[in-house]
Amino acid sequence: MSGWRLRLKQAPALRLDLRELSLAAEDIERVRVGHGNALVPLAEFFDVAPDADGRLLLEGGEGLARCDRIGWGMKQGALIVDGPAGHYAGACMSGGTLHIHGSAGLLAACEMSGGALTIDGDAGDFAASTLPGSMDGMRGGTLIVKGSAGARFGDRMRRGTALVFGDAGDFLASRMVAGTIAVAGAVGVHPGYGMRRGSLVLLQAPARLPATFVPAGAEAPVFWQLLARELARHGGVFGGPFAELPSRRIERHLGDLAADGRGELILVSQPKT
Amino acid sequence: MIRNGVLIDDGFAEAFPMKGTRLIITAHNAEWARHAAVAATGFATSVIACGCEAAIERELGADETPDGRPGISLLIFSMSGKELAKQIERRVGQCVLTCPTTAVYAGSVVSPSTGEYAGRPPEGARHGLGRPGAMPEGEAMPLGRNLRFFGDGWQISKVIAGQRYWRVPVMDGEFVAQESCYVVKGVGGGNLLLLCTDVDAALAAAEAAVAAMRCVPNVIMPFPGGVVRSGSKVGSKYASLSASTNDAFCPSLRGLVPNSELTPEIRCVMEIVIDGLSEADVGAAMRAGMEAGIELGAANGLLRIAAGNYGGKLGPFHFHLRKLLGEAQS
Repeated sequence: MSGWRLRLKQAPALRLDLRELSLAAEDIERVRVGHGNALVPLAEFFDVAPDADGRLLLEGGEGLARCDRIGWGMKQGALIVDGPAGHYAGACMSGGTLHIHGSAGLLAACEMSGGALTIDGDAGDFAASTLPGSMDGMRGGTLIVKGSAGARFGDRMRRGTALVFGDAGDFLASRMVAGTIAVAGAVGVHPGYGMRRGSLVLLQAPARLPATFVPAGAEAPVFWQLLARELARHGGVFGGPFAELPSRRIERHLGDLAADGRGELILVSQPKT
Repeated sequence: MIRNGVLIDDGFAEAFPMKGTRLIITAHNAEWARHAAVAATGFATSVIACGCEAAIERELGADETPDGRPGISLLIFSMSGKELAKQIERRVGQCVLTCPTTAVYAGSVVSPSTGEYAGRPPEGARHGLGRPGAMPEGEAMPLGRNLRFFGDGWQISKVIAGQRYWRVPVMDGEFVAQESCYVVKGVGGGNLLLLCTDVDAALAAAEAAVAAMRCVPNVIMPFPGGVVRSGSKVGSKYASLSASTNDAFCPSLRGLVPNSELTPEIRCVMEIVIDGLSEADVGAAMRAGMEAGIELGAANGLLRIAAGNYGGKLGPFHFHLRKLLGEAQS
């Protein structure tokens, strides 16, 4: 599969919808891009050149923040955004790798079911959640946000692993059905609101634990080692905040008892200084 | 062929295809992992009446297991996938789930000939036992998939790096089991017959051979101590028995049976049966066992090494003793 290097000519007047853009596209210059209510050939907005590495590379600086649905429904290959991305980045992707060297807009990785999405900057609200009106959020794959995440991160998430190196907003993991979310920084109010199952790993304890969570009566050291090693592999091999997880002790709280109550909020102890 | 005074028969061991898998049991410490592994591999010497052949392969260090605790690697073989699934469920359910602090995982089922072996697959390998999430090859077979129902609805599924684990609440916390283990076509029934002057010499030769064979990965010797004194032949004068004593190698029957293989100076015979994950593994173990016996030599009472077969008509795997030693020499 040949790769392509796409350079945004200038920031578009209206937002671009790049859902049709993929490595598999036959005539990439003629791929139809949504621009307002018109469909316009990609070459109108991007300079197209072959890429020897077999990947799809988007360049264009801050203007890329106006490009929505980058990596929409992606199934394979590598897509790199050399800058920020608009809304719905990596939404519905089921395979391959998408790396955004900047921040992403709203609804990044929503309904993602496979592959790996890395956002070097921040992620907007509703990342790893559902498409509006849908019942199931992220359902597979790995999402890594190296900055901070907005509100409702992981809303209705069902499967997969999502890591946030920075802070997370309010209603983190709300209505979560299953899967794993780990946050290294501070979290907003109501983490785990309506959480049914799944694991929410917090390296910094919230100001107040939700009233509908109860302390676990037993430790889960085996499970924790399996999970912590995997989180460390994803988010800590280069000295990230999760690198030391396997050696840290945890405190578990079970809930949300207002929902199914089989979720767990895992508070990681601070390293000894 | 005579080596160090030991006559090597110009014969071969005949072995059969079996279904096999490797399981990894970990526990709070090595002692409890061993308790579980010993129980799970109990009464598993021969498929003739045990349903499977199983034994401990080796002990694993904490750095070799998925959860960072001491562990045991064990191999289980059976004649069919269906029977193996039944044996795994029963043995893990009754002997591992019940044992304090244990957890159970699928082990790698790849022969070292492919470059991978128990515990530490290379980074990025598609399967292995040392890293949770590594994707084993082979046919998937339930491990924790059915045992989870012991949780009575409180069991929790967790997918970590593509592998599903079950967390079943139990009285010491929770029992963690990987959902599936992975089954491959193995080889069962590789064997060596050590023909010796007396019981002391036979035990010494058998113990030395078993010790050497235990250093070979991917094989087990399922009989007590790795050694069987009741070698069998197919069939019996009694219609209800499928196997009976190997009269040709019974010293007490020399002179009584027409087909005795023994000479007057041979007064004790021990057999070692080997099951392995591949033909190469079984061959390597047989070679290691023979070399250990040869090192003891005729001076220590080992006079001859033979192997059991059925004329080559039943099993597709033939391990020619002299070829094995020739390979080693070359």
